[in-house]
Amino acid sequence: MTDVLLTTTVGSFGKPEYLQTARNAFSRGKLSESELTELERKATREWIQRQEEVGLDILVDGEMYRGDMVAYFADLLEGFRNGGLVRSYGNRYYHKPIISGKLKRPNPMTVEWFTYAQSLTRKPVKGMLTGPYTMLDWSFNEAYPTRRDAALALAEVIRQEAEDLQAAGAQYIQIDEPAIHARPEEIGIAIEAMGIVTQNLKAKTISHICYGDFAAIYPEVLDLPVDQLDLAMANYEYRWLDLFDEHPFTKELAIGIVDVHKHELESVAEAAEGIRKGLKYVSADRLYPHPDCGLKTRTVDETIAKCRVVVEAAKQVRAELKAPAAPTREVPA
Amino acid sequence: MKTTVIGAFPKISDDPTGQELRRALHRHDRKEVDDEALDVAFDATTRAAIAEMEHAGIDVINDGQIRWDDLCAAFARAWGGLSRGPLERFYDNNTYYRQPVIEKAITTHGRTLVGDYKAARAMTKKPLKGAVCGPLTFATLTAEDRAYKTLDERTLAIADATASEIRGLGAAGATLVDVEEPALVARPDLVPLARRAYERLAAAGVPLALQAYFFSADRILDELASFPVAQVGIDLRSRDSKALDRIEALKGKTVVLGVVDARNTRLESASDVARDIERALRALGPEHVWVAPTTGLEYLPHDIASRKLAVLVEGARAAAGVPA
Repeated sequence: MTDVLLTTTVGSFGKPEYLQTARNAFSRGKLSESELTELERKATREWIQRQEEVGLDILVDGEMYRGDMVAYFADLLEGFRNGGLVRSYGNRYYHKPIISGKLKRPNPMTVEWFTYAQSLTRKPVKGMLTGPYTMLDWSFNEAYPTRRDAALALAEVIRQEAEDLQAAGAQYIQIDEPAIHARPEEIGIAIEAMGIVTQNLKAKTISHICYGDFAAIYPEVLDLPVDQLDLAMANYEYRWLDLFDEHPFTKELAIGIVDVHKHELESVAEAAEGIRKGLKYVSADRLYPHPDCGLKTRTVDETIAKCRVVVEAAKQVRAELKAPAAPTREVPA
Repeated sequence: MKTTVIGAFPKISDDPTGQELRRALHRHDRKEVDDEALDVAFDATTRAAIAEMEHAGIDVINDGQIRWDDLCAAFARAWGGLSRGPLERFYDNNTYYRQPVIEKAITTHGRTLVGDYKAARAMTKKPLKGAVCGPLTFATLTAEDRAYKTLDERTLAIADATASEIRGLGAAGATLVDVEEPALVARPDLVPLARRAYERLAAAGVPLALQAYFFSADRILDELASFPVAQVGIDLRSRDSKALDRIEALKGKTVVLGVVDARNTRLESASDVARDIERALRALGPEHVWVAPTTGLEYLPHDIASRKLAVLVEGARAAAGVPA
């Protein structure tokens, strides 16, 4: 494995048609849980293989067994009850969970999937969790008196899961907080809650943040107790990098260099330029090129194509870094 | 005192029989049904939403905004010079909207909502409000602007287009129009700009209700009192608010109290709701107090939205001394 500009993805991939069909059949009681699990494992194997073929460095299990990033955990935690349908945008709806009692984690939620995915590859697979602040913000809170109380209770159960992932061998644990800037005045709660989750972790910790106004929580977000921030950049035309001029960015940066929300494919040159922009602020050993966000809304072919662009762009820039000092470009230390 | 609603009503329910619109939109996307069939589904859902508000005992209703994808969508689609850009999160909701993109100077015939309003008008005997997106909200949610040089210029241009829509609603029979304006409480620094925009809206000659939700209005109560609008709606639940302590600052306006939280499933008790209403009644008098959910009920699952309406009406009746 190369040691600079390691490539990765944010976490989710699209579910193949047969798995969609199987999930529908399962929800109608027409398929057993073990039959569904078998198909989820098959889809996981396929995605691990595709990631290896494309040449990504740090892999994910692709989340074939998750519906969405909050409901999956809410279903497995005690204290949540299933909420009704709420519209997300256009004609898309989701079941918004309700925190209705004291939160407890009866069993590990992702460890078996991590172990399975890691058994299929020699490359590192990331453990993937949803952060406490996002779990809170994307649920209804009926049980805890304040939002902070609920966030800290969620942090405690997510801490247990993160530590189990580490014990199972995860070298990277990603705890996503896409809602972290929902209420910028609550950034302190998000930081306090994340501190509970990561307090005993030796694994590299990462948090993915997307949508919303990142500027509203910068530079405070640098106090989020994780090693790496994972940011959508291409979709925002790299505007967040300007913030780093005033307050230097102090963490590792996973930089989104292809937009996952559009079907069109970026060119390798365009994506490579994104990496070079990042290199102005973060050294190559601390910069991780990847697509902006989870790829679950893209087709298999689109996903492979987007990931291939990321890998090729990283290769190109790595070659430039190895070449004797390019006269026009500053090579970071 | 009157009960009312603000914003969008749930378009579907968890019950499989309550998902007609969702299915119709899917089929329309796949070109299996035409625009006319989709219109039939929109109208049926609007009729159901209106019936539900009537049944709950809401005094002044709206059309449930069943055709609205988001607060900006109807205008971003209809107005000249505009297109719809990428999705972005809508304030602190896990709900997304398409950011307006202004390509050229905005134009409108001012009849964007007239058809919807008239259709809903024919479905009910209750007083029916219109609604528009607030100009400051629209201007601050805009992703890109290639026509106007400053936020001030953009906001005022949007206000002119919005005033034209308000005139259209007035001509169609609306005697009250909600101006949904979360940006005003999100960005109190922009109050002076907003006031200039509202002077243009007021020139349309239709009574307006400025609905300032999602954030507390505590910091700008005095400023709100001098806006050229008939009603001011404030959100007492989304964040801690002490607005009731000095609600008399809004004397002269009809205050629309957002007393049931339209963004959390936790159900208020009718007696808690009544207590808040009574405080406002003592300060302002029954002629000047209306009560409502904090914002559109579409942030809740349908069954909970229905229960919130019931609590609202029950609390209002208790405060007014009407036997349950």
